Amino acid sequence: MTAELLRGDAYQGLRLDPRTKMAMVFVVGIILTAGGYGGLMTYVRPALAFMPLLLLLLSKRWSAAAFYAAAFSAAYLGEIFLLSSTFGILNFILLASVGLFARFMPGLMMGYFLVSTTTVSDFMSAMRKMHVTEKLAIPLSVMFRFFPTVREEYGAIGDAMRMRGVSLCGGKPLKMLEYRFVPMMMCSLKIGEELSTAALTRGLGSPAKRTNICRIGFHAQDIPFLMLSAFCLAAYVRWLIANGGGAW
Amino acid sequence: MIELNDVSFAYQNAAKEGGLLGVSLRVRRGECVLMCGESGCGKTTLARVVNGLIPHFYDGDLRGEILVGGKSVSGLQLHDMAGLTGTVFQNPRSQFFNVDTTGEIAFGPENLGLPEKEILARIDIAAREMNVEHLLGRSIFKLSGGQKQKIACASVAALHPEIYVLDEPSSNLDMASVADLRRHIALWKSQGKTIVIAEHRLHYLRGLCDRAVYLRGGKIKGEYTWREFESIPAEERSAMGLRALSLDELRETRSPASNQGRGTLELSNFIYAYKRGHKTMDIPALTLPKGGVIAVIGLNGAGKSTFARCLCGLNKRFHGTLALNGRTLGNAARRKKCFMVMQDVNHQLFTESVLDEILLGMQRENDAAAENILDSLHLLDIKESHPMSLSGGEKQRVAIATAIASEREIIVFDEPTSGLDLTHMRLVAENIRRLGGMGKTVFVITHDPELILSCCTHAVTLKDGAASSALPLDENGRREMLSFFI
Repeated sequence: MTAELLRGDAYQGLRLDPRTKMAMVFVVGIILTAGGYGGLMTYVRPALAFMPLLLLLLSKRWSAAAFYAAAFSAAYLGEIFLLSSTFGILNFILLASVGLFARFMPGLMMGYFLVSTTTVSDFMSAMRKMHVTEKLAIPLSVMFRFFPTVREEYGAIGDAMRMRGVSLCGGKPLKMLEYRFVPMMMCSLKIGEELSTAALTRGLGSPAKRTNICRIGFHAQDIPFLMLSAFCLAAYVRWLIANGGGAW
Repeated sequence: MIELNDVSFAYQNAAKEGGLLGVSLRVRRGECVLMCGESGCGKTTLARVVNGLIPHFYDGDLRGEILVGGKSVSGLQLHDMAGLTGTVFQNPRSQFFNVDTTGEIAFGPENLGLPEKEILARIDIAAREMNVEHLLGRSIFKLSGGQKQKIACASVAALHPEIYVLDEPSSNLDMASVADLRRHIALWKSQGKTIVIAEHRLHYLRGLCDRAVYLRGGKIKGEYTWREFESIPAEERSAMGLRALSLDELRETRSPASNQGRGTLELSNFIYAYKRGHKTMDIPALTLPKGGVIAVIGLNGAGKSTFARCLCGLNKRFHGTLALNGRTLGNAARRKKCFMVMQDVNHQLFTESVLDEILLGMQRENDAAAENILDSLHLLDIKESHPMSLSGGEKQRVAIATAIASEREIIVFDEPTSGLDLTHMRLVAENIRRLGGMGKTVFVITHDPELILSCCTHAVTLKDGAASSALPLDENGRREMLSFFI
């Protein structure tokens, strides 16, 4: 028990520089959503789709990794088997949902990886090193605090709905959405206000040059990921040029 | 150190009560001053004037002169005050900007651009002083409320402010955490810091505060030395709307007679463990009085919330049962029999009007019956209001009304009086007693001995997940229950 406490649970597993992670979110997000098929892209796309799984495993996010592996394989298999065996409207709906899923899922999971493995101070350091203005860096850093908080709220509201016997089976999906999001927005507003006052009374927004005690920097483990990102981006740009860039 | 000359403030949003009217106050360096009074009396506003949130964050009409550390607050920026005043807020959940504890303590000094070495040294000292070294480097989402409040204290202390402002810091804390908080305040006092505390819970501040300032309706109605404050007779203090000054004096209170002979509830196999962890709840069997109002007490982490969630059937991986009226109820059946009034009642109000809220919970929608229920809880006048526009107490009553409307037999209150003044606590107690009178079985999870004495008939103590048997709160029972808090 004590050993576990001392080790800390803020983050365990592979440590990458936040800038490496951001580069990879960017590359995976852009290339997989924007498209590009044939040629080198035949290899680039699966490699990038595999990337979130690899990173989630390396950072010991076991359940997220399992979820991604299952969801993505389902979408992929669906694309292979279901699409060829269905016709008409059904085929269209399947194509749309499976296609969208396979395109956006990897980017979303990379986003989750970035947010869940980066602390606010790591992120602020990275923003500073990239000379991003604080006017942009501070709102972005709030995101790291906000998502986990919203998830907590979401769970509590879900409890309340189940207790009231309000569920999707009631057959009013729009009502459900309203019941879930109205309380969530009210809570988020209040939390936002309290968060701001706590941060401002501790000097957030001070014109003094902000110090960062956490040391971020590129290490050996960053190199393969950066090289892979650069290679994929290069392959994508080459493909864009070859296809006249008009393939959105 | 702090000087207010004829300060008045009205929030821009006029609905928000609690402004100030011509307040003049002087706090000397090294003094520890309590600001007390009923909810809405202006004590939180006064705290915000001292830490600069008024006028720099909350908009409104401010008059008069505020000098903090010899400087006029209006002439300073909020970030200039960061090294001067440090504030510990009420809600440990939402005063963190970082997601890790070390980053949080470093946050203030980082903002001020102190050298890295200095910051690391300050983290070290603050962590040692607040006794949170073992919590460094952890995710704040895995800390208990008491641990979070300690980290909040450490992160304020790392700024080395001259003035500490504490705005209802004990509202969400259990007895052990309140004792820690008292130690932190005592430490700051011994360091010669100036301390201003706005608070409802008074007993932990004995021997700590030098003075008490009593506010009512935005005006200072009394300034007392601590000795004078303590010599105010109990009835007079209660008429002022103030909580007990010492838990000892509660020994004299009478709690309601218990309802005996209505049968029993039998819990069995109330055992729960997280996926990879020790048991957070371990109650093989427990018999409770049906129709009783049962206080569930215990330190944070003793398993109270797990108990409540499992009892209400909200925990899918839990397989214990409850026998009631000769029927054995599993999770799904208990979800229909039990209702939890949550600590943050905002989570459980969904609709656009109070009346809709009641109708949503009814088996068969019946306007007349719904209005009867609203009437009994003094909600009929506001039946068309949007639940989110109501005050905290009204929201809680709406939640209680939905429980009655959906004919639940068991109603669980999760810390219903955290941060409430005497008057509001009494209103909650009255509502709970009324539920008891209707034959409902009520569970009250609480850290508030005054609430227990004013409405509960039995008490169950949880410790490390195990439960004591239900203790009837007769004379001996009250003494035993209070010994947990003192």
